[in-house]
Amino acid sequence: MTRIALDLTINGELHQVMVELHWSLLQVLRGELGLVGTKENCLEAECGVCTVLLDGKAVNSCILLAHQCRGRSIVTIEGLGDPEHLHPLQAAFIECGAVQCGYCIPGMILTAKSFLDECRGRVPTEPEIREALSGTLCRCTGYQKIVDAVALAARRMEERHE
Amino acid sequence: MSSLARRVAGRRLNRIDGVGKVTGRHVYAADFSLPGMLFGKVLRSTEARARIVRLDVAKARALPGVRCILTASDLPALRFGTAVKDRAVLADGEVRFVGEAIAAVAATSLEIAEQAVRLIEIEYETLPAVFDPEQAIARGAPLVHEHWDRYAALPVFDRLGNMPGRCSMTHGDVEAAFASAYRIYEHRFSTQLVHPGYTEPRAAVASWDGNGDLVVWANTQLPFDMKNMLAEILDLPARKVRVIVPGIGGGFGGKLRVGVEHFAAWLARKSGRPVKVMTTSEEELLDAYPRQPTIVELKTGVSRDGRLVARKGRVIVDCGAYANSGPPTVAIALQVLAGPYRSANLALEGIAAYTNKGSTGSFRAPAGPMANFAVESQIDIIADDLGIDPLELRLRNVFREGDEGPAGEKVVGVSIEECLTKAADAIGWKDRKPSQGRGKGIACSWWLTTGGSSGVYVKINPEGTVSLVSGAVEIGTGALTGAAQILAEELAVDLTDIDVTDVDTEVAPFDHGAQGSRTAFSVGNACRIAAADLRRQIFAIAAQQWGVAPEDMVLQDKGVVLGNKRMSLAEVASLSQRSGGGLISHGTAIQPMPAHDPSRVKNHPLPAWTSPSFHAHATEVSVDQATGEITIERYVVVQDVGFAINPTYIEGQIEGGVAQGIGQALSEEIVYAEGRVLNANLTDYKMPTAMDAPRVDCILVEHPSINGPYGAKGVGEPPCIQPPAAIANAVAAATGVRVHALPITAEKIALALHGEEK
Repeated sequence: MTRIALDLTINGELHQVMVELHWSLLQVLRGELGLVGTKENCLEAECGVCTVLLDGKAVNSCILLAHQCRGRSIVTIEGLGDPEHLHPLQAAFIECGAVQCGYCIPGMILTAKSFLDECRGRVPTEPEIREALSGTLCRCTGYQKIVDAVALAARRMEERHE
Repeated sequence: MSSLARRVAGRRLNRIDGVGKVTGRHVYAADFSLPGMLFGKVLRSTEARARIVRLDVAKARALPGVRCILTASDLPALRFGTAVKDRAVLADGEVRFVGEAIAAVAATSLEIAEQAVRLIEIEYETLPAVFDPEQAIARGAPLVHEHWDRYAALPVFDRLGNMPGRCSMTHGDVEAAFASAYRIYEHRFSTQLVHPGYTEPRAAVASWDGNGDLVVWANTQLPFDMKNMLAEILDLPARKVRVIVPGIGGGFGGKLRVGVEHFAAWLARKSGRPVKVMTTSEEELLDAYPRQPTIVELKTGVSRDGRLVARKGRVIVDCGAYANSGPPTVAIALQVLAGPYRSANLALEGIAAYTNKGSTGSFRAPAGPMANFAVESQIDIIADDLGIDPLELRLRNVFREGDEGPAGEKVVGVSIEECLTKAADAIGWKDRKPSQGRGKGIACSWWLTTGGSSGVYVKINPEGTVSLVSGAVEIGTGALTGAAQILAEELAVDLTDIDVTDVDTEVAPFDHGAQGSRTAFSVGNACRIAAADLRRQIFAIAAQQWGVAPEDMVLQDKGVVLGNKRMSLAEVASLSQRSGGGLISHGTAIQPMPAHDPSRVKNHPLPAWTSPSFHAHATEVSVDQATGEITIERYVVVQDVGFAINPTYIEGQIEGGVAQGIGQALSEEIVYAEGRVLNANLTDYKMPTAMDAPRVDCILVEHPSINGPYGAKGVGEPPCIQPPAAIANAVAAATGVRVHALPITAEKIALALHGEEK
């Protein structure tokens, strides 16, 4: 097995890693770079907990090869906001009681971020939010407070937009 | 003290671990690693029942990067288990289900470990297997465990052959009551195998230190139980085992028992390196602790005016190849079959059965949804036959305050009438009209708040903050935020002043664990006791400082107050550190078992329920007449929580529990055919998504319990109990189709509506 050198831009910082061609982005983020905020579960793009942003779009990092990300921009949950400066989605998830065990939450928040960016300041309807989040499984919340949190963040981001 | 007077308890405050979770900083067991760590992988059986005639690890051992391979011959010949010690760490000569662990490998990478597992050579000689629980308990069935009678077991369980547990609850004379009953109804219901579906796989990292002590970081709900179980499995004194629980990504009862910890511990011991083992989704669906499939036979006699006069029932739970919590689960089913109804005459029997399938466990409200589906479906069938409104039939029969429960105990804190009435009002029960393809259903239940003891250490620090050390794990419910709210209330501080530590069995006091809807209840009680002791310490220090008697002092706004004298908790804590060992206390709590009549109950570990809660669900569904597809239009839950410690997270429990219940009602099933799982992946095991789970209207009733903090009752498990029954009843109202076997798939409805077209 031979490794190749790969430059990855993650959360605005350049990382140089040696990877094998078949390694997933998830494997590199968690195993090589210690960015364990991106979660691991089904490894077949069914549960959505490993979602990251690739050039701003939500992708399942478990089925994306790391070398496909060469020269592209990756954002993980660690790059969205920090405890002192929460992103409006992160703040809304806490305020709405949308967080229980929290394991799906990084993926859920990044999925929502990608979706709200696509909405470009328009506040989406509840069915639209539910459809957008339907690729990420949450077993704790029944989704209701997550949907409420995304709607709250959307309204706040719209106000900021105006 | 009314809830309005409370500053912290009862308020919708943000959970204490939220920021770490939304920023990805919260570390879960699956995220945990150590330097030099190896990765473990397990070889699993492809046969449902077979003798292992050859097992050759030579090629696997020769693979570069492989550090250790274990088979049964490398381990002591011992068996472990909760009810019955029937399971070996690695199959010892015989496999009993597809997916059973046979060998374990540790290697420098997961890929090498996986490759090594594929290089292990194995030959089987197939043995007769049994997959159906009724066939398993019939005479002449092949024994799943040939030497079942040599296994050690808890004495409460009555075992025989393929039955690792049998129990009963009886009183009165059911046969005489049936003889004089106006009508008798007999039905058979069945429920399916469903997975808890936590999003974090089970994971453990094990490491041995220079003293020969084992440390395991694992996502277990029961760290103290895990410690003792691992000590047993590793043949060590318990003091040599330390369990630490970092974050845990959901449990729902599926992370109570040893899952991968023992593999990690043995591999680490033999390899001399830390080892991590984590399950895949396939392993989760083959070998985890899912909800047992159940067969319920229910015979109910009624009077002309719809009073339940006698009930006879038999529940069989299919444990799979190892008993685990099947025997206690079938025992709890008996109370669900009886209540929340008055019953003068009862004859209920429970049987746990071994079959050659994966083992099962204690998924949220074990026995609840299964037995409730039978009871509440049959109540609707009876109401329909007698021409009585199903709500009215329930109201005529439900417990009233002080009634006798099934074990002869006095049932107190009863609110089921209020729950039913409010649920009916919220769903518009009285306005329901018969309409094709649309219908409303209602179901009710009761549930226990599990006992077991909790201990906490509480420390007030010189900066005025409070450290809470509990042996209870926060599995996501918010239970420890709730307990911290109670502590903050009692100490007159803010919730944000309280820090809760992760559980470490070496330093934390014992807790019976995150199970049975008990954590906020029991840890909350322990916090109240610890706070009372701290108040005494604080008042004594203030009394000495001020040269007065400690009487009439109060805690207020983070300080101790007497008239116009005031000293902050920070000052008191500093003084205490200079003069003594600081402000520290220990609180413990346990619920007493209600007095009951033991002659009514046989072989039952929880004969009388502690602090029962009451609940009613109502739903309106529409059913596509062509395809049979069911849409939940509205869903209402009325739950008596005694006292709502934090309404936001109680709603979270209800909404999440309903979604799980809907999964069981409509879509989820681990499908077996001839001992093989046909859908061991998350594409074909269908859990509700954001598009499937409905908005839930939560109505909280606060009818206080005697034993809970401020009257609280257990909250977490009940919400998943009634969805199958409530939905089945609504579907029957919408279509006339009564489904007796879960899940209620579109296919079953369409076939019933249109017949089988071939």
